[in-house]
Amino acid sequence: MTGKNEDPGSSQTTSMPANDTMSSKAGALLLPPPEKPEAIRTRFKVIAAFWAVIIFLGFPIWWKTTSIYRARLPIQDMVEWADGKSCRPVFPLEIHFETPSLPESEAHHLLRATQHTLDDLNEFSAHHLRLKLSGEGAVAGHDDMLEQPQPSLDGKADNALTVRLLPQENLAAPRSELHPDTIRLDVYYPPSQIPPPSASNPPLSAYIAGELQNLFTEEKAIIAQVLSDSSVGGTNPLAPSSANNQQQPSVVLNSISPQLAESITRRLRRSMKYAETYHLAFSLFTPGSEPASWDVQTAVEEYISPLLQAFTPISNFTVDTQVQLYATSAPTAPLPEYDETQAAWTLKKEDLSAFINAAEWPLSPSIGNGPTINFILYVPAPSQSPMVVKESSATGWIIPQWGGVFLLNPPLSTADYPSNPPHLSQETLRPAFLTFSHQLLTLLGAPASPASLPFRLQTLIRVRAATLLLSASSTMGSLARLTESLPSIPIPANVATSVSTTLSHLTSTCEHLREGRFQAALADARVAEAEAERSFFEKSMVGQVYFPDEHKVAVYLPLLGPIGVPLIVGLLKEVKRVITSLKAKKQQT
Amino acid sequence: MLVVDRRQAAVFAGALALRLLLLVLFPSLPDLLTGRVEVSTPISSFKRLQEGLFLYTRNVSPYDGGVFHQAPLLLPVFALLPNAREFPLPTALFYSLIDLINANALITISDSGQAGSGRLFSALRKHIRWDGVSIAAWFLFNPFTIATCLGRSTSVFTTTGILYALSNAVSGNSLNAMLSLGFASYLSIYPALLFIPLMLLCYDRRAQGSRLPAGVAIFAVQHLAIFLLSIAGLLGISCFIVGDFSQFISATYGFQLLVPDLTPNVGLWWYFFIEMFDSFREFFLGVFWLHLAAYVGGLTVRLRGQPLFVITSLLGIFAVFKPYPSISDASLYFALLPLYRHLFPLMRYTFFAVSALLYATLLGPAFYHLWIYAGSGNANFFYAITLVWSLGLSILLADTIFAALRDEWEQENPEMRGKEARQI
Repeated sequence: MTGKNEDPGSSQTTSMPANDTMSSKAGALLLPPPEKPEAIRTRFKVIAAFWAVIIFLGFPIWWKTTSIYRARLPIQDMVEWADGKSCRPVFPLEIHFETPSLPESEAHHLLRATQHTLDDLNEFSAHHLRLKLSGEGAVAGHDDMLEQPQPSLDGKADNALTVRLLPQENLAAPRSELHPDTIRLDVYYPPSQIPPPSASNPPLSAYIAGELQNLFTEEKAIIAQVLSDSSVGGTNPLAPSSANNQQQPSVVLNSISPQLAESITRRLRRSMKYAETYHLAFSLFTPGSEPASWDVQTAVEEYISPLLQAFTPISNFTVDTQVQLYATSAPTAPLPEYDETQAAWTLKKEDLSAFINAAEWPLSPSIGNGPTINFILYVPAPSQSPMVVKESSATGWIIPQWGGVFLLNPPLSTADYPSNPPHLSQETLRPAFLTFSHQLLTLLGAPASPASLPFRLQTLIRVRAATLLLSASSTMGSLARLTESLPSIPIPANVATSVSTTLSHLTSTCEHLREGRFQAALADARVAEAEAERSFFEKSMVGQVYFPDEHKVAVYLPLLGPIGVPLIVGLLKEVKRVITSLKAKKQQT
Repeated sequence: MLVVDRRQAAVFAGALALRLLLLVLFPSLPDLLTGRVEVSTPISSFKRLQEGLFLYTRNVSPYDGGVFHQAPLLLPVFALLPNAREFPLPTALFYSLIDLINANALITISDSGQAGSGRLFSALRKHIRWDGVSIAAWFLFNPFTIATCLGRSTSVFTTTGILYALSNAVSGNSLNAMLSLGFASYLSIYPALLFIPLMLLCYDRRAQGSRLPAGVAIFAVQHLAIFLLSIAGLLGISCFIVGDFSQFISATYGFQLLVPDLTPNVGLWWYFFIEMFDSFREFFLGVFWLHLAAYVGGLTVRLRGQPLFVITSLLGIFAVFKPYPSISDASLYFALLPLYRHLFPLMRYTFFAVSALLYATLLGPAFYHLWIYAGSGNANFFYAITLVWSLGLSILLADTIFAALRDEWEQENPEMRGKEARQI
């Protein structure tokens, strides 16, 4: 088509008047009449006009629109991060000692002895405890520290645990007690056990070291697991083994008990993948028309919000609620059976997975750009109330990486025929929401022990910082490999910016970890992870991924070929004519 | 000019009556034609104009909503007319009058005789010609023109601008010619490409007169300044009307240059850019626009003696290769073509070209219906027909250009007149 339409142009170049031959009546071939000089000049001008457009407009446009912008990426740095050469995550935990009743020299001695015992016990050098005698000024502050400590802005390490030594009479052996709502461990000891300064390994310090070791066993195992899952850390053979006697995380994994390892892997499998923002969706489902309302707002404020508040350094949360009446279970789901012994309708444990009617219940998989954690409060029909799980008589269970379910059996009204109450008060909701808060903790990956919530959150902060550090590093590695292997994809400038932001935040994360400032490390790691994801999933980069160079022939030739051939032939003819005329001139002179 | 030619009055009255009769007999015809892709393109659709008008009369920027892409100067004009939905007659009358004005310009062009003989060149057969009224009748009773008029496409205003630029140029009024071309370029960018041949036409016309103009370069610079000033003035008024200058520029000229709307039309761009890889889109936009622009230089140089013919041929080329062409562009080309009645004997493929055009005209709507409404065809059906349409127009173009060259050649070689010639 276009070739055809080039005709007006090309016909001018080739159908010069004097160029036309003419067959005579007799059919004898006459020589075409000689071309006039002005006809030659006109032809030259026509060809020049076309080529001027091509050269002065066409080529710049071609250059401008098809050149691929590739911002420079620090490939070497990115690969080093991915290989774990840039940073070896370490977790030096600072533990403060408060010894109100001991003279300073004795306290120092006890500390040194305990530290020594701890170092002997520890076989995982990336995670180690550093004991410190807290100054008098800090004591008052630590007492009323309820939730988590504020991120230390002054460059001091986070306090992982405060150990307070209290003498108590009438004790045969020391005993310890972890406060459930602070990060304080009270150790009571008989005053007689104060070690003399000469004793090398007093029993009190051995006891404290053992307690501390126990407290941190699970965290250590989780971190070892995380580090060994990604090849970063100690297991990489290329990693510099500069640490004097650094032990591999696998050693730690081997040393922990199989039950603990099992529970850790199970919990890791159950918990949600880390996200910057989680959506919590609380849904009330009931097969009938009642209950139609619930005090969900006050319940969430009472039981869930404090927990979410405590999680703010780790993730953000949004909360949605809904009530769904006449929510029937799926037709394929097995029906509950009445159990005489329990006097309740029971669901078999293996049938719980079919309990959620995923096809009909409006449980959106995700709202916006974060994963949704669903909490389902199910009020059974009066005819099937109370409903429990057969094996354990439990009323709640967790659905791994998805959410939790709670069967609420409110007291039925004692009218002619029993019915559910129309409204669920906050008091009725209490057991359900306590269960939900517990399920939320598990789904977010908090360790099961010990009892202190702030302590578990601190553990989670350290684990998340490590996870994000490793994940952002490996994303950097993938991005580096992608850009290396596909030289034809464009790299926009904002990807380069994101990469440099990621790398700088990774560096500061690593620095914070080394200094023991875990909150700050997590904050930096979150930024690094977000930027790394953004750079890797940049839309304009992937547009041309599957576009080999051979395809360009198919793009250019069909249109530009037909246009180009007459133009090039015209140009060649013209060049030939100029050369011959130049030669002729030379011969004449 | 009080003496009105009776034939001309009859033709004009007949054309007006025919348009109004069609409107009265088939009241739904204007709306039907307004919706046809052959008549209405995104940059000339009357429906979109009404949307812009609605927003404009309610003091909202007409370009909000991304539907309206036409020049803002049309809005105050159409705001004066009563609502076309309730009172279709005034709008139809307005469009018919525009057609008559265009025909009047055509008569002026034809009567000047510039098509047959200019300053540098005079055709051999210039006695074979139609008079102005016949050419006006040919334009006014052309079904494409009637369809455009009833479909109320705003491209008729561009047509007016171009035709008045030509009529002023051939009557030696180069200032008005430049102002008219500025108006046409302001409405839709592509007429700006006609500047060089139109300037040469003005120059030749001036040189024919009593006093010789200074030099062609000075003349060109002067007229370029007038042309640019007229555009700048119109843009200034538009800015005053719309307020937001950048939004107005990107919604009108950005839209025409970058072709984001790939609604099917009779042109070649939409299908090509649907198929094109995204990363090459910008490059091929450049190629297509350059392709359109590249003909200007070559044709002007080659046919320096006949600038009016260059303009005619360029209008034909635009009708094929414009980004959003419609039958209104073809009707403009067909309006100017009879000025070259003396070339018709030299043309060789008239039958083929006319058949291809008729074939496309009849089958185009049918295939469009099969594709969009019946669902039994696909986009290729309609695209194939637009290819035939473009092929017909290109053959016609190539044939007329060949005839013009042959005419020039016969003048240089008088002994060859009337003999077979072969292009080598």
